[in-house]
Amino acid sequence: MKILKTLFSLLIISALLIACGNKAETVQNTESATAVPTVKKFVVGFDAEYPPYGFVADDGSYKGFDLDLAAEFCKRAGYEFVAQPIDWDSKDLELNSGNIDCIWNGFTVTGRENDYTWTFPYVDNSIVLVVKSGSGIEKKSDLAGKVVMGQAGSSAMTALEDEENAELTKSFKKLEQCPDYNSGFMNLESGMIDCLAVDIGVAKFHLNSSNGKFVQLSENLSSEQYAIGFKKGNTVLRDEVQKVVSEMWKDGTFLKIANQYADYSLPDMICLGDYVK
Amino acid sequence: MINIQDIILKVFSGAGATCIIFFSTIIFSLPLGLLITFARMSKFKPLSIFAGTLISILRGTPLMLQLIMWYFGPYYIFGVSFGLAWRVPAIIIGFSINYAAYFAEIYRGGIQSIPNGQYEAAAVLGYSKSQTFWKIIFPQMVKRVIPPVTNEIITLVKDTSLAFVVTYTEMFTVAKQIAAAKTTIVPLFVAGVFYYIFNYLVAFIMEKIELSFNYYS
Repeated sequence: MKILKTLFSLLIISALLIACGNKAETVQNTESATAVPTVKKFVVGFDAEYPPYGFVADDGSYKGFDLDLAAEFCKRAGYEFVAQPIDWDSKDLELNSGNIDCIWNGFTVTGRENDYTWTFPYVDNSIVLVVKSGSGIEKKSDLAGKVVMGQAGSSAMTALEDEENAELTKSFKKLEQCPDYNSGFMNLESGMIDCLAVDIGVAKFHLNSSNGKFVQLSENLSSEQYAIGFKKGNTVLRDEVQKVVSEMWKDGTFLKIANQYADYSLPDMICLGDYVK
Repeated sequence: MINIQDIILKVFSGAGATCIIFFSTIIFSLPLGLLITFARMSKFKPLSIFAGTLISILRGTPLMLQLIMWYFGPYYIFGVSFGLAWRVPAIIIGFSINYAAYFAEIYRGGIQSIPNGQYEAAAVLGYSKSQTFWKIIFPQMVKRVIPPVTNEIITLVKDTSLAFVVTYTEMFTVAKQIAAAKTTIVPLFVAGVFYYIFNYLVAFIMEKIELSFNYYS
């Protein structure tokens, strides 16, 4: 009985303490709210498995060219930067529901011109075909009767399914889809498939880090451009981002950030200079 | 305008792929689980320790990882490549062995729940060891493990969507892709309805089986 009493009184005391703590906190919150104007959040949606645009760094943090650019934008425009990894297949749901403010992650404009509100294209990307070294495949026509793979929901897949490439795709033995590019390259290396259709940046990354295991065909599947995509009609935020990014281009910050990702041949792919006057 | 009928047809086109994994896994894992139970309950120590370790690893690591291991293992460990023909076998092996580990422990629980008195009674009546098991213990075990086995089978229906990690395009993958292409979440709901109906059928059939064992009332 005594123990029960002690326990009960302890419970009441702790409940009181918690209640007091809460009150103090609320007071503090309102104080800080009046002192400093609330910092608006800028939520960037990105695919965390898409180097060099967005990926998980060695220390576990999110890193990437696009995230660096977005962070620099937030610093200049006075936003709080939030990097939100998303499931690439659900990007439209995330954007339309307002969970994210924009998709800033090697986001392809080509073919999606009317689906989003876009900034200037800043990266020129192409979709290339990668095969295993010594496979004997040298050009597109060699792919007849072969198994070709692309990432599900990616622009490479869109390009493969496009009418423009219908004849090429028809010549394949099979057109397969992988959940992410790392899986795609493992499928290629282990001989499950003969060819992987992939964005040039990702291809260069794997070609550079795999000691000649893979070869890129000289013929491209398609050429395309990247821009920052906003929910259709959100021109206010688009204009703000575009203005600040253009300033970053003029003062050289943009290229400085791109040069940090020179391993991925990013500086060669930058095309923002064609648009910023 | 989104055509619901079109979406349903497209999502269900992936249902065949889902059913292949489901039925193959059921066919292989139910008996395999019994074999693992025997090994686990064996008086021969090395065999029982081996089975115990196997169950521990299979239950203690993600099924997704096991699928990747079965799919890429032949090449990255042994340097052998079977091409895409290996994909479906790898998935069925991965699912079957994983589920067999769970079934094995369910069976063991069922077998050990039978009172010792029944073994003694069987011995008195002159039953051999194997007769005792197959004629007396096994039927009662089956009756007792039906509810937990039903649980596992229902989980299996939903787990089939993991197969996309090794590029196998089953129903949920198809639904996600249509959702992405048409920018609508309707296909995901359609997939959800499919899983629910499938599992409702599973539960219904298992209940009928359970009732058929209800010979004492």
